[in-house]
Amino acid sequence: MSQSIHIEIDRLEGTLLRVLGLIERRGFHIDEIDLYDLGPDTRGLSVRVRPRDAGRNIDILGLQIDRLYGIKRLEQAPERAQTVRPNAEKLSA
Amino acid sequence: MPTNKPTGAQLVISTLKALGVDVLFGYPGGAIMPIYDALAGSGLRHILVRHEQGASFAADSYARATGRVGVCMATSGPGATNLITGIANAYMDSVPVVFITGQVSTHLMGTDGFQEVDFLGLTLPVVKHSWLVRDAAQIPAILARAFAIAKEGRPGPVLVDIPKDVAASFVEASEMGELPAWTPAAPKAEAIEAAKALIEQAQKPLLYIGGGVHMADADAEMRDFVERTGIPFVSTLKGLGTVSTYHDLHLGMLGMHGTRAGNMAVQETDLLIAVGARFDDRATGKLSAFAPHAKVIHFDIDPAEFHKNRRADVAILGDLKLALPALRPTMPDISEWVKLNKANKWQHRFKYDAPGKGVYAPALLKSLSEKAGKKFIVACDVGQHQMWVAQHCEFEQNRAHLTSGGSGAMGYGLPAGMGAKLGLPDHHVVTVSGDGSFMMNIQEMATLRRYGINLKIVLLDNSSLGLVRQWQELFYEENYSEIDLSDNPDFVEVAKAFGLSAFRITQRHEVEGAIDRLLAADAPTLLHVLIDPRENVWPLVPPGASNAEMMEERWDEPIDSY
Repeated sequence: MSQSIHIEIDRLEGTLLRVLGLIERRGFHIDEIDLYDLGPDTRGLSVRVRPRDAGRNIDILGLQIDRLYGIKRLEQAPERAQTVRPNAEKLSA
Repeated sequence: MPTNKPTGAQLVISTLKALGVDVLFGYPGGAIMPIYDALAGSGLRHILVRHEQGASFAADSYARATGRVGVCMATSGPGATNLITGIANAYMDSVPVVFITGQVSTHLMGTDGFQEVDFLGLTLPVVKHSWLVRDAAQIPAILARAFAIAKEGRPGPVLVDIPKDVAASFVEASEMGELPAWTPAAPKAEAIEAAKALIEQAQKPLLYIGGGVHMADADAEMRDFVERTGIPFVSTLKGLGTVSTYHDLHLGMLGMHGTRAGNMAVQETDLLIAVGARFDDRATGKLSAFAPHAKVIHFDIDPAEFHKNRRADVAILGDLKLALPALRPTMPDISEWVKLNKANKWQHRFKYDAPGKGVYAPALLKSLSEKAGKKFIVACDVGQHQMWVAQHCEFEQNRAHLTSGGSGAMGYGLPAGMGAKLGLPDHHVVTVSGDGSFMMNIQEMATLRRYGINLKIVLLDNSSLGLVRQWQELFYEENYSEIDLSDNPDFVEVAKAFGLSAFRITQRHEVEGAIDRLLAADAPTLLHVLIDPRENVWPLVPPGASNAEMMEERWDEPIDSY
């Protein structure tokens, strides 16, 4: 099962790296990323994540992301079954 | 062209002064030369160490000992990478340190230029926050923000990486600007009420005191809470001394090398009250068997610590200085529980009458802490001696026990003692080190000599990597792989070559006189102590076991002289 996290981040050097690095270091796979503009100083980041093992808790991950500087807002979408993207085969080929 | 405008480097120095920095540790090099150029004659006290790692550890311990923000500088590339162990150390133990590094000029970045590394990238996992400065005019505001971030909430290291051309560029003078005020969170009344209800229902409550208490400067509030409630307590490695270790209700350190009484109490308690502690694996042992009968109240300033390793029944977020006084339960009768714990503490107390004539390190350390008095600060290295200090030294003061807890970085002790002594010159600061750890930053004896830093060093020498040797003996069928250090140099001669006073003892009867001589010395001095290489740290909870499964001391053979 994977879950989506939606984050509003400051457009500052290193912010994106901090978030993505933290997600991986805390034991989650990143399955999808979507980065988009929300204004001159803000970017939106949607990340679909999947825990590497049953001991990983996405609520704890959310708290750890939230304490990073440069994070303006964070919300988690409801859990959903993992889906296969239409172009997944092509990407792995 | 001459100009009245300041350079970015000058702004670095003037901002550090404006922020109240009185001492900083560092080592110059190419990319940070504009800043060292501005440093000369500035009035800031800079301690030139002999290795950047020494600077990072010294700044860390200066911060731990004084409660102020430590400052450390190094150049780009290898200078910066030599800081990483110290940055990680400060991160793991939540120590406020600002690291300022030089970076290659902006136009060279990304070209594999000489002494270029992506230091912002390298350090992302081990800093609380970081900046790569692109505009010199931002330097005052960034540095001021860096100091604030390092100290606010859960403290930690902050990096400011400054390219050489940015430091050298002339700018309009700029100011720090107004910093956003940070107010520590006050605890929620409903959480306090819920905690109060749990305590009032408990029969066997136990306090689990971590290093976060003294990081919050909440020692007085913690001591008051213990006195008001009469709840027995155990300490983590970093929590030792928060409440006097002499206290009647102190059951000792918990965890892998904790006391039997402390670990038994954790196994029996029905309400564990964790205060500024993070349920580290060295404290909990097998997590599923840790405090198996207990509900949990967890106080912390960092919400990400709640439920991370152990689900809390009540989580109290906020400043301990506010939260602890707010919690005023009507205490149930816990006299039988207290009596049981005191009996266990007495029955399983440490014994110091080891057979033989050789120096018994635990007895030496106990005597050292007793003789050094209230203004005693120990900076530990990492290994068996570190655990013996935690077990056998007594601490009556907050910030008196400086140790690399989360990171466990060998080489911490000597520069850490140096940083603490510079911060608190009227204290008895003693570095306790082992022969393996001491060799990792031995060059800092030159720094002691240069600045006349009156640090005392107790070097417990068992000619091996003692803790690794102990694990190989117990868990790897005595397959002693790469732990022999019997070709160590003559440490007394080495210390003398660095310009320190030094002497050696090998026999138990020499201990008392040696400690007196060491503490009375008015110059940096090394006491070299030869101890039995076969000596182990007891008790020990085997890796992966629960804290109930402690292995006990065995004195089958005398501790002979070596």
